[in-house]
Amino acid sequence: MSEKNLQVGRVLRASSRGFAIGCRVMQPEIPVFGSFVRAEGLAPGSAIYGLIYDVGVEDDPFVRQFISADPPEEVVRDQRENRQVPIEVSVLAVGVRRGFGSNGENIRHCLPAQPPVTLDWLYQCTDEEVRAFTARFDYFRLVLEAREVPADELLAASLRAAAAARLENERETFLVEAGRELARLLAGDPVRLEGLLRRLRNV
Amino acid sequence: MTLELSRLTKQVQAMGEKLAARQRQHADLVALARRWLTQYAAQGERLRHPARAIRAAIPTDEPLDAVHPLPAIPERFTVIAADGSQIQPDRHGAAFYYLINVGSLVYRHGSGEPPEPYSQPTLGYTEDDLYENGRLVTGNLLDVRRDLAEITRLADLCAAEPPGPTGSGEPCGSAQGRPGRTVALVDGTLILWVLEDRSEAWQRAKVMAYLDQLSRIREAGAVVAAFTSRPRRTEVTRLLQLAHMEGDASRAEQEPNPLEHLPDRAVFGTLSPGARSALFTSPSSINYDYYQPAGHTVHFFYVNLAEEGRDPVVARIELPVWVAGDADRLALVHGAIVAQARITGDYPYALARADELAFISGREREAFEEMVTTALLCAGVRTALSPKAYYKTLTRRGRKKYRG
Repeated sequence: MSEKNLQVGRVLRASSRGFAIGCRVMQPEIPVFGSFVRAEGLAPGSAIYGLIYDVGVEDDPFVRQFISADPPEEVVRDQRENRQVPIEVSVLAVGVRRGFGSNGENIRHCLPAQPPVTLDWLYQCTDEEVRAFTARFDYFRLVLEAREVPADELLAASLRAAAAARLENERETFLVEAGRELARLLAGDPVRLEGLLRRLRNV
Repeated sequence: MTLELSRLTKQVQAMGEKLAARQRQHADLVALARRWLTQYAAQGERLRHPARAIRAAIPTDEPLDAVHPLPAIPERFTVIAADGSQIQPDRHGAAFYYLINVGSLVYRHGSGEPPEPYSQPTLGYTEDDLYENGRLVTGNLLDVRRDLAEITRLADLCAAEPPGPTGSGEPCGSAQGRPGRTVALVDGTLILWVLEDRSEAWQRAKVMAYLDQLSRIREAGAVVAAFTSRPRRTEVTRLLQLAHMEGDASRAEQEPNPLEHLPDRAVFGTLSPGARSALFTSPSSINYDYYQPAGHTVHFFYVNLAEEGRDPVVARIELPVWVAGDADRLALVHGAIVAQARITGDYPYALARADELAFISGREREAFEEMVTTALLCAGVRTALSPKAYYKTLTRRGRKKYRG
């Protein structure tokens, strides 16, 4: 469970639907597919919430040259830590917070009126924030309808993250409620629903 | 597309045929040069004086055909490389300025640590920056400033580098007695190229500033070398022709030289993998006028960087006399450069990265120009591209398709 304000990276480019951020190095828990992140909004105390749906590492002819060789450790670390900067992380916007505090009341699941601006910091949400944000399931529709993201996999991963942010004895109840909401939203698409529920059962 | 490729077909074909014929002739010349290298190998001392007169490679005490195998490469040593690039002052731009960007990499072999990359941009925009003795700082003047910035960066990094492990236990003999396992690398040459149409006082000031940095590197206990990839120098082949003319400099200058356009590197293609040639002294007049009195006489050798079973890749390495004349330091440079080059295949990794860190891409140039324009506007200065530059932006940006 995370309780601190962990920086993921800085915003490279953004739109109301999502944003791309750059981070220097991949750490064991940051950035992770399906995790909840937060950027500060322009109004004091406001924030934009998102879900990480892609982590990209680019290559170029120089790094490709070392694939078939056996480069020294210094070269491997140079390529990883110095040259592949920034690692690009794509985020789907799923909600906003208006004003200070992280209780569920001032959080809305919708696209932000304004995106974050270039070089804003993006933070990993604390467990408290994840619990507050996932107290409702309105963001499901935003994810399920998002184009160009692996929507089902992303939603399942976000629910796994949300369950992990709760006490152990609360997790099952939370996932059952999430499953019910999914059943309602995907009533007309039983195949997709089954796939999603299967993913949730693996928590 | 404005380059009419179809109009070039015949010319390119003719070029291919000509080059193929030249290559056949080239093989005969290479064989001749190698024969002369062996034949006149012991005549170095006799050739030393006339060689300088005709700007041929000046032999040292070694036989001309000496071959030194790759020495043992120490487990731990540091290579520091620096390289630079620049934006020239442009009278068509939004403002008049120049930019020098120096990239550097500190690579500690055997440490397992990530190398330390760094880029240092410097903007010149005041009258004092832009003019030197009434001349605009552009072309060779700017090149000299960039070269000075590169060597200064190397000297700074060498001074900051903690003394490394000695490996063999043999210190490389720094002034402070610090064990030297640091190799500073520049791309190209150690001889600062200053145009001869400048005053002697100006040339001296520039070269002395460069030599001061070489002295700082020496005092830091490091060694320094310059690396030239695919060198085209013809100093050794000129020496061979001189030897064939029995050391007669005037005959060598007057009579046609069959090896005239044959680069030295072709002669040393027989070096075994990792091996280096004999040492020679650079015949450049700057070397004798300035470097020698300051104790930095530039020597050079050729080295085959290729691994066993590969075609030779011959590079030219320049180094000051205080490195060339010390067996340990010389072996360190030789081994370090081969080790570095073999990481990438045939070019020192640290230099490749320093170049990358120094390089200013077209997009970066555009972004910087926008930054300058914005800063000027914020300061209340209205600015614009010259009409010529403006129309270039219109004609060179490419076209867009109609997408409905």
